[in-house]
Amino acid sequence: MYEPLLFIHWKQVRIALLPFAVAAFALPLLSIQGLGAPPGASGLALDAYRASAALEIWLPLYPTLAAALGVTLALSAWNWDHQLKHVHALSLPIPRWQYVLRKMAAGAALALVPALALWAGALLATASVSLPEGLHAYPTQLALRFLLATLVAYALLFALAAGTVRTTTVVVLGLTVFVILVGLLAAPLATLFPTLDRVNLAQWLMESLVEAPGPLEVFTGTWSLIDV
Amino acid sequence: MSDAIEITGLAWKAGQSFALRDITLRAPAASIYGFLGPNGSGKTTTIRMLMGMMKPDRGNIRVLGMGVPQQMPQILARVGYVPERPHVYPALTVAEHVRYHASFFPRWDAPTSRDLMVRFGLDPAQRISRLSKGEAGKLLLLLTLSQRPDLLVLDEPTDGLDPVVRRDVLSAVLDYVGDAGASVFISSHLVHELERICDWVGVLDGGSLVAELPMQAFKNGIKRLRVAGAAAGESASGLAGDPGRAPFTLLTREPADAPASPETWIVRGWEDSMRAWFAGVGLELRDVVDLDLEDGFVELLRSSRPSGEARS
Repeated sequence: MYEPLLFIHWKQVRIALLPFAVAAFALPLLSIQGLGAPPGASGLALDAYRASAALEIWLPLYPTLAAALGVTLALSAWNWDHQLKHVHALSLPIPRWQYVLRKMAAGAALALVPALALWAGALLATASVSLPEGLHAYPTQLALRFLLATLVAYALLFALAAGTVRTTTVVVLGLTVFVILVGLLAAPLATLFPTLDRVNLAQWLMESLVEAPGPLEVFTGTWSLIDV
Repeated sequence: MSDAIEITGLAWKAGQSFALRDITLRAPAASIYGFLGPNGSGKTTTIRMLMGMMKPDRGNIRVLGMGVPQQMPQILARVGYVPERPHVYPALTVAEHVRYHASFFPRWDAPTSRDLMVRFGLDPAQRISRLSKGEAGKLLLLLTLSQRPDLLVLDEPTDGLDPVVRRDVLSAVLDYVGDAGASVFISSHLVHELERICDWVGVLDGGSLVAELPMQAFKNGIKRLRVAGAAAGESASGLAGDPGRAPFTLLTREPADAPASPETWIVRGWEDSMRAWFAGVGLELRDVVDLDLEDGFVELLRSSRPSGEARS
């Protein structure tokens, strides 16, 4: 019963998945372009400083691509069911939690396609350059981080997209109101509780999410194809 | 097992405008139960609750002896459901959807599926979004019958279909029932459609079940009587509606056009032996006219409404 759900998700998302796979494959190759080879060198002998600076420009694109892929997979997972008001899904003789888990697993499996493309691109890119001493290539780690980031974005959006429009609106509005309230109440709370003066609530919230061990740290951590 | 479907005290409310009120019905096993009612009477809502897709505010539902919603997966493995609107994925081809659907049903009958594909003239390579309404209806029935269900729940399966397709669909249902001995719960607002196939009929109106009886009794028991000598101004309930006094149920009573003319009574539960009752109460029964099922249905709805108005 897992394969049919994988097939259905593949049918929905295959056209969107192609550009993601192409982009994931191309990104590592593009990131090493312009790092010119010194005359007479057999490969691209890279100066460590120049290499780091050039690669850094491309780094934000990896988490961005992963987030976009996760969102696309999550929305497409529920798209057809929403259109049919879930009637077909609800008439199937399996427990609902199993249906949801299998559907989620199907989307997660599809995330492997761009991740593998990125891995292949990264292996090719790193094989085509001669790294100076002190620098190392991390194609597998980069691909794994990309996969993990995609899965985090996918899981968050999958849960949100599973709900009705009303549920989704309530959750999004709730989060927005919470963030606004945290910003607005920071000053009055600091007056009432002087110890809070040293704590910026909005900053604390953001750091809790995006810094280790926050759930979104995978997006902001080190995305390096080539590093020390 | 006695009943394919047992609904007890089902109630559900949506805002101020719509409610299901204390519905209790029983669809006997191996019968074809027609669930009749005008548009908006609550048929689809009741069926969705039957299929575990909506939660009632109150009441119990048992399908094939199992509780809803506690045993839904087991129930759904044995129930074939055709919803009011097609619920198939439009971007798949017919063959892809059949394969997808089949993978969830352990009793899937591949030869039946292939036979129905040919019988219904469906092209396996055709995209579902390009199917006509009739073809989509046939596909839904193919999916349902190939599950080899013990109970078919069909929500207006022929609505909007042309007469030829409607006949194909109904005859496929009847063939299956004859072959598998399955039960059928079929909703419709088309009275004549159910007249030909149903053993039992339940009539829903305004969220209430206003009648539940064998189809034969429904067909034969509703009559138009021409009655002379009824005292002017005497209430219908006082004269004939009181079960203690009249052996039938008076649905509606239309006053005479002129003082000497007979009144028209629409009655339910009529039998010929009841003619003698009129002489006993000083009335003259001049005529008994058969009503066709649709007229009977309309009169039944009219009698169940306070305003006496029947919607079509």
